[in-house]
Amino acid sequence: MKILIAIGGKEFSKPTLDLGMKIANSFKSSTTIAYVGKKISQFSEKDVSVVHQNLDDRQLYRPGIRTLEWAYDFLISKKYIEETDTNKFDDYLLVDEENSRMKVLLKEQYSDNIDLIMRTGEIIEQLKDEVEANKHDITIIGGGGNKGIHNKLIQFIDSAVFVVKNYSVSKKYKILLPVNDSKGSEKAIDTAINFAKSYKLTVEIVAVYENKKSHEKTDKLLLRTKNKFLKNKINASTKILEGSTVNAIVDHAKDDSIIILGVSPKNPIMKYFFGSKPISIAQKCNCPVLITK
Amino acid sequence: MNESYKIISSSILFWFSQKKWFVYSILVSIFLLNLSTPIGLSVPAYHSLIILVLVFMLVTFEPIPFPAIALLTLVLQVVLEVAPPDQVASSFMNDAVLFVMGSLMFAIAIVHQGLDIRLARSIVFIFGKSKRMFLAGLMSISAILSSFLGEHTVIAIMLPIGLSVIKNIDTQQTDGKNAVLITLFSIAYGTIIGSIGTPSGGARNVIMINYLQEFSNVHIDYWKWMKHAYPILIIQLIVAYFVLQFAFPSSLKNIKMRGYKKNVENRSVKKDINHLFSCLIIIAIIASWFTFNDIYGLGIIALGGALTFMIFGMITWEEINKNTNWGVILLFAATISLGFQINETGASSWLVIKFNELLNSLPSNSMNVSWSIMAILSGLTANFFTSSATVSLIGPMAIELHPTDISFALSSAIASGFSFLTVISSPTAMIIYSTGLVSTKVFFRVGILMFIISILILYLMSQFYWVTL
Repeated sequence: MKILIAIGGKEFSKPTLDLGMKIANSFKSSTTIAYVGKKISQFSEKDVSVVHQNLDDRQLYRPGIRTLEWAYDFLISKKYIEETDTNKFDDYLLVDEENSRMKVLLKEQYSDNIDLIMRTGEIIEQLKDEVEANKHDITIIGGGGNKGIHNKLIQFIDSAVFVVKNYSVSKKYKILLPVNDSKGSEKAIDTAINFAKSYKLTVEIVAVYENKKSHEKTDKLLLRTKNKFLKNKINASTKILEGSTVNAIVDHAKDDSIIILGVSPKNPIMKYFFGSKPISIAQKCNCPVLITK
Repeated sequence: MNESYKIISSSILFWFSQKKWFVYSILVSIFLLNLSTPIGLSVPAYHSLIILVLVFMLVTFEPIPFPAIALLTLVLQVVLEVAPPDQVASSFMNDAVLFVMGSLMFAIAIVHQGLDIRLARSIVFIFGKSKRMFLAGLMSISAILSSFLGEHTVIAIMLPIGLSVIKNIDTQQTDGKNAVLITLFSIAYGTIIGSIGTPSGGARNVIMINYLQEFSNVHIDYWKWMKHAYPILIIQLIVAYFVLQFAFPSSLKNIKMRGYKKNVENRSVKKDINHLFSCLIIIAIIASWFTFNDIYGLGIIALGGALTFMIFGMITWEEINKNTNWGVILLFAATISLGFQINETGASSWLVIKFNELLNSLPSNSMNVSWSIMAILSGLTANFFTSSATVSLIGPMAIELHPTDISFALSSAIASGFSFLTVISSPTAMIIYSTGLVSTKVFFRVGILMFIISILILYLMSQFYWVTL
């Protein structure tokens, strides 16, 4: 499994980095920590590039490196990386790659591989490029900032998207798994099983009675899903919610929930202009949300 | 739903989300093309104005690469019958374009020599008595160099000096944060203010000189421009120094003026010779701008500078080719070509007539009002559209307002250099912003004060000083 963790400002990225690395360690996955620098106007992009090269030559940190250094120190402080004499950040090697991508390769302790990379440009375009080029399975991003970014990520990025909103290291989380009969929901169930197993989390499976005529089908789905979890020796419970799907799930979710949802099967054009239930849930709820694809 | 349909529609949507301003610009242009031509305006003139709107939108929002905008501008001029192909081609290349090309290459060659280390030592030697003197020195040296060599050259040389003196400052405390900001802003404002000083300070100055020569047959040489602009530069520098002291009060105790000491000690004879030779070339080029610009033009002399560096093996063509922004050169060439067509087709005269009609409807109509609107409009447009592109498109209108009075054209070009409001307005602003140490809000907050004061200084100088020249 390959995980991409997108970080921004130092103070807001701690929870994202922490949760991201925990997931990476549980799944023993290779991890890329990406900092996407601000887009530079085409008028000045070459001038900025010349200045940054100059800063490198003078051993003055180029912008973005400070954030990556902070991320590196954070990984060391949390023992995700063991610092040795040979892998100090002072001796970092910046590898200038194509398409505005720069890489700092580091030795690490627990995961198969941790890459620190820096990109410059429009964030969605850069993360999409990163996911496509390196075939990441999950993109993890903080919940702050512009909500439109999350919508576009969910819509356009070819990986599962984990929006880390209001995450606290000290809290004991449980998985909230809304299900229906869509293909996306099946994928979400598989992911929830993996997560629950790795973290030993309890799972609450919920379904919403959207119209009162079709209760039987929903009840069967809930039971079938619960059995899947029980077979994997995961503690799972079920609950029926009523009302509109989005509001019912948002109201039911607590601060200690991690919501795992499947991507909407809706037509992409409809999703772009009118949104979708998973996007609305990710927008409205105040806890981490993972949308699987 | 069919998987391939989903993939295709998702790709189209992604393209649309990234290029929506291209689609909107095209739709606006099609809408305008379908309207009837305004009275008093010929069809080619109307079409040239539609291309102008299109270029404004595309350059502001950057949905497609600059070279694509440049090519689109040229293609549309011919397709929409604004001008025949030969005329478009001949207006595409002139001394202003050669100057943009030459100055960009020359800048890369200069920056490549690593003169910043020597310059840092000189600044500390001359201004090192106190930290406030040092900052004043950084600002003044940036301004003087920028007035001759252009913003992009000077900011690339001066920024490493600035960053090296502030590199260990803790920005969590207000005093430290202000020390960082005042250092970076001293360099940025010095560089921005300096660029108005001489024709070679910025491409916009050369573009305006070319327009004046072509449209009004008025010739402005290097000295004449300096006599008009340099006093403004000096007053602006003094004002900027106090504005920054007021905006970022700091004890400056953490600034380390000797941050470059280690690098200065790593000298070699070869480097010394290289630096000496670089300085000689720079001095020769500046002297040529003063003395030979009437014969050879500013562009050819700038190209000569880059050529000299290459001939003597002080920089390779690969290095110049890699770091030259060819897209910007193409874009300036295309916008200058469009500027010529806007003038040739009579579109600029029509706009000026409409502008004067608007002024007549105002209760107090005078030269001062039209000057103020033109200067403020030039300054504001440049802050959202970059200065050289603004002058290449608005310049013909500024000249047309008072073809025989150079104060309008000069004011428009100088006001376009007041890039104090936004980080996209100039390479200096964008480079300072790209350090991650300056936010857009801080840039605007201090910049609005500098912008207003600068317009006032420009007004007073044009009213009371220029008339004496």
